[in-house]
Amino acid sequence: MNGLYKIDILVVAVSLTALIFLVGYMQPLVIAPVDSYETNSESVLFSIEKADVLLVDDNIDFTTPDEYPLEEGLKISLEPGDYYWMARGLFKSEIRTLTILSRVELELRQIDDSNYGVFNAGNVRLNVDIYNGTEFIGSKKVESNSVFPLIGDKFVGGYDE
Amino acid sequence: MALFLVNAVYALGVTPARTTIDFEPGLKKAVEFEVLNSEGKDIKLNAMVVNGELDGYIYLPVKEMFISANEKSKKFNYEINLPGSLSPGLHKGEILIIESSGESDLSQTQVLATLAVVTQLHVYVPYPGKYANADMVVYNANQGENVLFVFPVVSAGEFDLTSVRANVDIFNSMGEKVDSFTTLTIRVPSGEKKEIVYEWKADVPIGNYRATAGLIYDEGIVNLERQFTVGSRELELKEINVNNFKLGEIAKLEMLVENKWSEAISGVYIETKIKKDNGDIVSMFQSPSQSIEALSKQIFSSYWDTAGVKEGTYETEISINYADKSSKNNLKFKVEKDELVVLGLGYVVSEDSGGSKDTLVIVLVIVVVVLVLVNLLWFLIIRKRLKKK
Repeated sequence: MNGLYKIDILVVAVSLTALIFLVGYMQPLVIAPVDSYETNSESVLFSIEKADVLLVDDNIDFTTPDEYPLEEGLKISLEPGDYYWMARGLFKSEIRTLTILSRVELELRQIDDSNYGVFNAGNVRLNVDIYNGTEFIGSKKVESNSVFPLIGDKFVGGYDE
Repeated sequence: MALFLVNAVYALGVTPARTTIDFEPGLKKAVEFEVLNSEGKDIKLNAMVVNGELDGYIYLPVKEMFISANEKSKKFNYEINLPGSLSPGLHKGEILIIESSGESDLSQTQVLATLAVVTQLHVYVPYPGKYANADMVVYNANQGENVLFVFPVVSAGEFDLTSVRANVDIFNSMGEKVDSFTTLTIRVPSGEKKEIVYEWKADVPIGNYRATAGLIYDEGIVNLERQFTVGSRELELKEINVNNFKLGEIAKLEMLVENKWSEAISGVYIETKIKKDNGDIVSMFQSPSQSIEALSKQIFSSYWDTAGVKEGTYETEISINYADKSSKNNLKFKVEKDELVVLGLGYVVSEDSGGSKDTLVIVLVIVVVVLVLVNLLWFLIIRKRLKKK
């Protein structure tokens, strides 16, 4: 009888081990980006194996996720903010977080032969205060990747509300 | 303030544009920011605290900064020392970063302007009791499909919101109520953000609608209102006919487009891009511009010069353009000597991309079945026989 119990335990243990190993093996393998990844670039490269879809949401419940079919070298563009992401294949992966840091960047660019402009090279909409000398002459809302002509000599750019 | 010189591009940046923290009485903390030197030159900068209610609580340990040409960016910090109490709501502070006058290497450039950038500090002080900040986002859908209502709710008070739901009324463009619904109830812990999601079936005529919502939480109500559209995809490509196709000659493509909108749409044209596997464009052509009457169909003719085109299957992108909108259809053109077959219109062109997943499923099923059989075999047959002996 003792021998039978030993075989019982062996059969159950082998079955459970095989199942746990198999489920673990079939879990999506999320390689990059690492958890709590922070970047000021709008474009994020994902590296994921054994999954079909990448889910990205700004809340951990994934109530309204953006879905991206996975492909080699998948890069997605995101607005500044905090995000939760996971991969979905046969099973769901762990949930990781990533942060796209907001970035204010002003560039002075030559628009044509004789004119220059102020370019919003950051990733957020800016409120730019414009001065002539020490005199404040107005504010301008400037979308990301937009330019406006020089109409003063000092430009102060900050994140627009 | 000195002016600096540029011939080419001059740039100045800072990240993050904004740091947001929740208020804690007496909080002392160093907040990091990074100045970007994307032009890769030696720059001297001044930093100062400006324009904010938090002036007295922000301290800059370093007010003069230097970034050398070989540094793409450099990290600095400011320190905050918050008081024991602040009024509820949002409090703002700003740190201005500006190039020091006359210190840069600006040779061979021309005086133009000064740039300065700001990194902001937002401090949120919870409201006493229970308080909800909420919004309503409505995603348009076609007739008969589901319009998605999303209510992001932030619990901005001291205590958790234990019961949050939304009552929504929907009105047509005549102001008549066409439907109402109530969402599920959720709980939002203090300081957290959650979403209520509701799918409303748009069994209503195509047109513009208005949704008014009362977001009801434990001790209050937030009134919200949004416009949305049922039938946003106004034009749909229904059919492509190509008669008497001969490779090497000019082919006439007749594209049937349906206007599902309740008004006529003018200035509609169709652009077709035929591509190789690597994405290079083989041919690109567009139809003349026409109008389509409300709820009707119209044929658009395009001409494709197939001289030099080889037999094969080509990825094809067909865009229906009108006003500032563009509706894209990705199809395949199978080009043969005497025939052009359009693949993917009205059904999905399937790619064999699910193979690896199918293999995993098969392996999982086989292993589970084997394990079940081994267990059944042992416990129901072999074990009983051995026990009898």
